[in-house]
Amino acid sequence: MEQEVIVEQKDFVEQEDFVIQMRGISKVYPNGIAANKDVDFILRRGEIHAIMGENGAGKSTLMKILFGLEQPTSGEILINGEPVAITSPSKAISLGIGMVHQHFMLVPSLTVAENIVLGMAPTTKSRVLVDFKKAVQIAEENAARYNLRIDPNAKVMDIPVGMKQKVEILKALVRGAKILILDEPTAVLTTQETSELFKELIALKDQGFTIVFISHKLKEIKQITDRLTIMRGGRSMGVYNTADISESEISRLMVGRDVVLKVVKGKSQPTDTVLKVRDLEYTNRWNKKMLDKLSFSVRKGEILGIAGVEGNGQRELVEMLFNLNVPDAGTVTVCGESIIKLSQDKIRNRGVSLVPEDRMTYGIADIASIEENVISDRFSNKRFNKGPLFNMREIHHESNNLIVDYRILAKSAKQQVKMLSGGNIQKVVVARELSSQPTLLIADQPTRGIDVGATEFIRNQIVDLSRGGTAVLLVSADLNEVIELSDSLIVMYGGKIVAYFEDSSQLDDVTMGEYMLGLKHQTEEEIAKVCYE
Amino acid sequence: MSDKNLFLFNILRGLAAILLALAVAAVFIFISSDEPLTALKYLLLGPVVSFKSTGNVFNTTSFLTILAAMIPTIFSGLAVCVMFSANQFNLGGEGAIMLGGFVGALLGIYLKMNTGLHQVVCVLGGALAGGLIMLIPAILKVKLGASEMVTSLMMNYVVMFVILHFLNFVFADRSKGATQTFPFQETAKIPEIIANGTKLTWGFVVALIFVVIIALFMYRTKWGYAIRMIGINQSFAQYSGMQVGTVIILSQVIGGMLSGMGGSIEVLGRFGTFLWRELPGYGWLGITIAILAKNNPIFVPFAAFFIAYLNKGCNLMATYSDVPSEMIDIIQAAIFLFFAAEQFLAKYRQRIVVHNTQRDLAVQEAAASQGGSNS
Repeated sequence: MEQEVIVEQKDFVEQEDFVIQMRGISKVYPNGIAANKDVDFILRRGEIHAIMGENGAGKSTLMKILFGLEQPTSGEILINGEPVAITSPSKAISLGIGMVHQHFMLVPSLTVAENIVLGMAPTTKSRVLVDFKKAVQIAEENAARYNLRIDPNAKVMDIPVGMKQKVEILKALVRGAKILILDEPTAVLTTQETSELFKELIALKDQGFTIVFISHKLKEIKQITDRLTIMRGGRSMGVYNTADISESEISRLMVGRDVVLKVVKGKSQPTDTVLKVRDLEYTNRWNKKMLDKLSFSVRKGEILGIAGVEGNGQRELVEMLFNLNVPDAGTVTVCGESIIKLSQDKIRNRGVSLVPEDRMTYGIADIASIEENVISDRFSNKRFNKGPLFNMREIHHESNNLIVDYRILAKSAKQQVKMLSGGNIQKVVVARELSSQPTLLIADQPTRGIDVGATEFIRNQIVDLSRGGTAVLLVSADLNEVIELSDSLIVMYGGKIVAYFEDSSQLDDVTMGEYMLGLKHQTEEEIAKVCYE
Repeated sequence: MSDKNLFLFNILRGLAAILLALAVAAVFIFISSDEPLTALKYLLLGPVVSFKSTGNVFNTTSFLTILAAMIPTIFSGLAVCVMFSANQFNLGGEGAIMLGGFVGALLGIYLKMNTGLHQVVCVLGGALAGGLIMLIPAILKVKLGASEMVTSLMMNYVVMFVILHFLNFVFADRSKGATQTFPFQETAKIPEIIANGTKLTWGFVVALIFVVIIALFMYRTKWGYAIRMIGINQSFAQYSGMQVGTVIILSQVIGGMLSGMGGSIEVLGRFGTFLWRELPGYGWLGITIAILAKNNPIFVPFAAFFIAYLNKGCNLMATYSDVPSEMIDIIQAAIFLFFAAEQFLAKYRQRIVVHNTQRDLAVQEAAASQGGSNS
């Protein structure tokens, strides 16, 4: 008997070290994508543990399983050595697991304090009405305790991204989370905000919290984490002590080859102005000025990049350029003709093409076939019609050519688009938008969330197109992409252009960060150069 | 291969839903009836079998009446397919059918023409009326954003009472005891394929021709393509440069025309005069049929047959046993539930998907290890 007890105790001691063990986790999504394949993931109490991998490596899926958002197809999860079934996020929260999503889950029209206590709001004596004072008090107490500076009375839509993230972290902490999962927390932050976040995370770690940090940024990982798990193609490539592994080794494990995402491109030879945007203004329905007297031009044969933290007017600008929204004032012309309020087919007829930011909403019809998706802008073309009927042979011909030219990995042209991987879905969109030989291509986050191979391919296609004489407007939150791919570059902050760089090749992310955060801005004269007048 | 498995799964799932629905019906029959086996016999076999002391024989006449009952529901099923494919939940089929029938009837009474041409003019008139009336919910939707579901549903009753007004006060044949119009001219009546009283008219052939036409329209023309894309993702369609508003109106007008056509063919084929005093109910059946057919025109005749068969079975069951004919509503409701439930048998579907994926992965890896390339 005594022996048994000792053994049990020893087990207990060993397992206490591991706050979470995920063993043999596999996940196949209903569309057939195997996102996790037999993954082991072990978390020690009080560590900052990175999960690294490219987009699509299965990091987010693994964490969604841990947070109860997805159920594993097979495998087991142990918390403090006890097997558990995490069937829902509320179960995960009750087990002390909190998650901060990449895209914030906040109610923009409510205050910070209201968001923090949402769903567990303190009530007044009547037990019916929400006690707002108490809510603010809870928010302030917790903010002070964890040293996260917030303004509890501000509305979420008015606060900067960095603060939104703190609100998300506080939301999890107030609900009793001991383990925090941060899904690409720095993706939307500037360099300065990132270092502030890191200080706060280290303070939390010192208070005994365990933090999982999902990222694919090498420098950050080296800076802040204790251990890291590397994932590739849905599999775990092993667990390492951060101190013992070099950046180049991490990179090799992540991508499996030494990828240098340098885009090879000759110098641009810009000629005539194609897109001319002048004094564009737009105030959104919450009375926030999203575009403030925006003026710039894009010329034939060049790529103009727009850098900036998301939410500084880039989305609104793109919407104006494709009549998905109407500006309050200002002009937009393509080759001298105004395109404001023109229907999309007329805009397309002027030779404008758009790779939309949100490919699932605008880019594709998910349950339609690849073939049906690639002809959506040209289906009424004479070439594809024979009398009242479709010319099916021409349509097959066109779609099969595009599948080959744009290296879309699919069983056939009849396959449903939603069955493809993210990268291949994006290739479907790119194939359609680029193959129409546009005079102006607007590429909004063209490689977001897709694998390295597809990213490289799409970037090269964009460069080829521009060197062939197309004017390209590139909007990207990925600093590397926007610097690498653009010939010249503007930075947007608060709906304004705050900087223009005629040659983007010499820029670094620290300088860019300062402009993107609004710490610096160029003079009017410097910025006005982007109008080329 | 894997996609074939999934296709097969979808068909099996449909059959399973139907079987389960019938099982649910059987449970109710066993609970409520003193002679459940007799009731079930008439429900399931009655429509095509005559039970005689000398043995059971195939009942051709009854089978032909089932086919005849499909004529209006094929049209209304096709109408709903087109409208639902564009994601337009227009429930105005009822009104359009009644109006089409009424207009077709009036043309059949008051026009003087040669037979052959006369029927065509009547049916086209009915189709035109159905199409025009659907412009109301369609334009309200596109111009004002009013829900077509609400407006079309309300419109049914407006249409019905307006028709009743004209029937009562303008076109009534005062010499008859019941409210009805004057009889149709012989030149306007749609004849039976074989004159045997089953009411299986040439309308049935026209209905099947329209199944082919609408299938071609939906899958082989630019308009059908635009309708389907708008139904799948309207934002995508707009961004792609499609005329979203126009196509939304078009889909509902076509739905109205098909309904009106079905109404006029039914009236001119089945009756000698216009008798409908209320909404005929074919519009609702059309919704059931379109859901069973998954909005695919090719499946519409099969779904229409199934529904007509069940209806007949329920009527026979009510006649020859103690189960009321309202049982049909319970069966239909159960089929709806199982068909509409996306998650029904989802676990088995997931198992097929997992299996396929694992096999694909194994093949990929084998290829990779042999070729030494990483895909």
